[in-house]
Amino acid sequence: MTSFIIRRVLYFIPTLIIISLVSFLILQLQPGNFVTRYKFNPRFSKEQIAQIEHRYGLDKPAWMRYVIWMKGIFTEGDFGYSFETKQPVFKMLFKGRLFWTLVVSLSTMIFSYLLAIPIGIYSSTHQYSFGDHVYTVLGFLGLSIPNFFLALVLLWLLVAVFNVGSLGLGIGGLFDSEYIDAAWSWGKLGNFLWHLWPVVLVVGTSTMAGTIRYMRAMMLDQLGQQYVQTARSKGLKDRAVIWKHTARNALNPIISGFGLAFPFLMEGSLIAAIVFSLPMVELQYWESLLRQDTYVTASGLTFFAFLLLFGNLLADLLLAWTDPRIRYD
Amino acid sequence: MRLKVLVSSVLVAALALLVGLAQGTLPPNPYEVPVGIGEGDWQNLEVGTYGGALVIDQNDNPKTFNYHVAQETTSTYPMSRTLAGLIDLDPVTHEIVPALAESWEISDDKLEITFHLRQDVYWSDGEKFTAEDVAFTFNDVVFNEDVETDYRDVLTVAGKLPKLEVIDEYTVKFSTEVPFRPFLRQIGGVIYPEHILADEVHKLNPDVPAGNFNSAWGVDTPPEELVGLGPFNVAKFITDQVLLLERNPNYWAADPEGNQLPYLDEVKYLITRDRNVSLLKFRNGELDVLGPRPEDIPILTAEAEEKDFSVEVKMDQPNYGTTYLAINQDAPDEVLRQVFREVKFRQAVAYAMDKDTMINNIYMGMAVPQWGPISIPSPFYKEEWQGVQCVAKYEYDLEKANALLDELGYVDTDGDGIRNVNFGDGRNIEFNLTTNIGNTVRVDFCNLIVDDLKKIGLKVNFKPIKFNALVSQLLGAKYDMVVIGFTGSDEPYSGRNVYASDGGLHFWHYSAAEDPYDYEKRIDELFDLSVMTYDDDEARTYFCEFQKLFTEHADLLFLVQQVFLSAVYNNLQNTEGFSAFAATRGFGNVLWKLDPGVVGPRR
Repeated sequence: MTSFIIRRVLYFIPTLIIISLVSFLILQLQPGNFVTRYKFNPRFSKEQIAQIEHRYGLDKPAWMRYVIWMKGIFTEGDFGYSFETKQPVFKMLFKGRLFWTLVVSLSTMIFSYLLAIPIGIYSSTHQYSFGDHVYTVLGFLGLSIPNFFLALVLLWLLVAVFNVGSLGLGIGGLFDSEYIDAAWSWGKLGNFLWHLWPVVLVVGTSTMAGTIRYMRAMMLDQLGQQYVQTARSKGLKDRAVIWKHTARNALNPIISGFGLAFPFLMEGSLIAAIVFSLPMVELQYWESLLRQDTYVTASGLTFFAFLLLFGNLLADLLLAWTDPRIRYD
Repeated sequence: MRLKVLVSSVLVAALALLVGLAQGTLPPNPYEVPVGIGEGDWQNLEVGTYGGALVIDQNDNPKTFNYHVAQETTSTYPMSRTLAGLIDLDPVTHEIVPALAESWEISDDKLEITFHLRQDVYWSDGEKFTAEDVAFTFNDVVFNEDVETDYRDVLTVAGKLPKLEVIDEYTVKFSTEVPFRPFLRQIGGVIYPEHILADEVHKLNPDVPAGNFNSAWGVDTPPEELVGLGPFNVAKFITDQVLLLERNPNYWAADPEGNQLPYLDEVKYLITRDRNVSLLKFRNGELDVLGPRPEDIPILTAEAEEKDFSVEVKMDQPNYGTTYLAINQDAPDEVLRQVFREVKFRQAVAYAMDKDTMINNIYMGMAVPQWGPISIPSPFYKEEWQGVQCVAKYEYDLEKANALLDELGYVDTDGDGIRNVNFGDGRNIEFNLTTNIGNTVRVDFCNLIVDDLKKIGLKVNFKPIKFNALVSQLLGAKYDMVVIGFTGSDEPYSGRNVYASDGGLHFWHYSAAEDPYDYEKRIDELFDLSVMTYDDDEARTYFCEFQKLFTEHADLLFLVQQVFLSAVYNNLQNTEGFSAFAATRGFGNVLWKLDPGVVGPRR
């Protein structure tokens, strides 16, 4: 087991180097660079723009900048800094955002799984029933309604129809303005939950359909297995057969799905972040990408790739733990 | 520290009182506002009461608290409330008014300006403000090549920076080698605290690396180090959520009754990215003020009375920016280049612009046509000046447009509905139009222009591209026509880099740098003349001629400009002065609330 883990971790290094190279070079395919927008500002002289380009190293060819960047990472653990805020890249991406991103993503995931897994099981045990169809349609509705649209409609309903402002409740963001800088209290927690539910609903419903279908398919697969027949013939109650035996086996792909969900946990949802004005990592990442803040985006991309690799490893280990048939040697 | 300030203020006041008594006059007020509330152009404003928080929205985080280095208004707008300059521009009249300098003299040869500073001003941390702070700000920061700021190039006169000399603790003298009228208008850049920031400058403190100042006062800086002279101080910044400003207890200005300003205790900038959500937040009573879009006005007007707010559409107050269609006279294609260099062709295109449709379709009527290069709210913009018509207006007229093209001999020879050139291969007049893809307003303009030009037999292919790609095309003169704009300002001279024949952004006719037209040479002269005088009226005469020459030759075809829109809960007072200009100057120190406990309509 240990040697398996070490081997997997060692594979990370070449993979990440290749990913960093590809991501860095793809970023160079965009026309212009971070300083280009200065060029259309009549207040800047050409000379000063050239000077700034030189200071940021943007006058050097891309491969040379990549080598310098790599050298900084390997010799000093320095991933570079943001052109825009002059902060170190990871501080730029994560400060003030990582905690909230994790809180919001985890709430969303829990909401989504808590609903999707029982629905998937219900759908499989009541295949082609009216309820199965209703849940499937609902799941796909959640998937197909664009997040931004659902978010705006929800906020509009709260303001224009339910007039929550008259009850002293705000919309968007994590808190009402009087709570943002206040110390934690029950009032602040309540206010946070009030701001959290629309986000959880919007993002959660968009990911539910996939989990429902997965769960349903796996369950149907398992229910047809001989061990289920055996269990039933032994006189086990239906509830025990489904929840103790089948459901546990059907959960395996969902568990490997956790590996893929790991980067999502730390990035959050871009659209929700924009519409609800939430401090989420992916929002900053996306903005840095638009502004061609190269080191932030290249480091961010490499880091998220690392999370994906790490998440996959974790999922493999988790599978070995839940499924006695799997052993890594 | 705060106690010390209080003590010293009291001492100053007591001293002033003593001096006053000795001379048998009334004691001078230790504080003074540049322009009195309730007088002259400020007559609609009232003396207020203290307390409350102003809650407004902002669509992004500040990226730095370093005002002179900042490149985006989400940094400069809030920071301009926490700092002050030598002079200020009156938000209502646009006139130059005293700020940190209470008076100034211009020497007879117009080459020296001496500023006399206020003597009773303290930084928000209690240190005394002196001429050394001014010298530090200009000599060590703004004029320092090591600092990335677009303010330096604005103050550069004929390739040289002004010289600043400290005469005594409260007097500084600037000297320039040639007279430079915009100097006074532009010297109001904020002053930095030497006692806080000197150590961040490489040339004063070799221990910090070169370029270090550009990262000083970053968004991580503890608020107590952000020392200022403005009405407010930065109290807290929470990424993606809120920027909180609080009242500066040492602020130097007061209302006519001697009450120290500002009235408000706090200003909260809620970071709200989506403008639809800003609108909803305002309607929900979470914001005191909203800068609405034209499409928001109907719903706001419908709710205004019930929810106790006011909506203003100031049709006589267009915003600062300019949006225009540029025709590349150096187009890469030889045939198009020849066509685009015909003044009559450009005029024909100008006549074909249906501005009324643009105003109605894009701005729902809340815009005005723009005819010249100078921003309409600028005190130097004149449609007519001393009996001279300063801008050539090309009112929508397809007949005139067609007639001009016929005159040039560009007629449709092959019957496909598109005019042909009358030289070379006689091909169809077909060209590309571009703009930056994310700007929906510009894309809308382009779509209308495609239709407009089709009506006069010109075929336009519209291909929007990303902003950075667009900038490279413009600066490389590799485009046919483009719709783009500048932010504009009060001082037309700040457009020199655009309109002078050798300007770095003279992108519709770069070859003018080597081979300018006669009228372009004259425009260069006019720009030079406009800064040699300190007489604004004389400058207006030069700018009038500039606009006349420029628009008669239809170099850039100006489109329309949105007017100033605002929505404000009635609880907030002294908002009469809100305007496009005031928005850029900050107006916070005279705002107050009838009920300080209320945000929007809510308790």
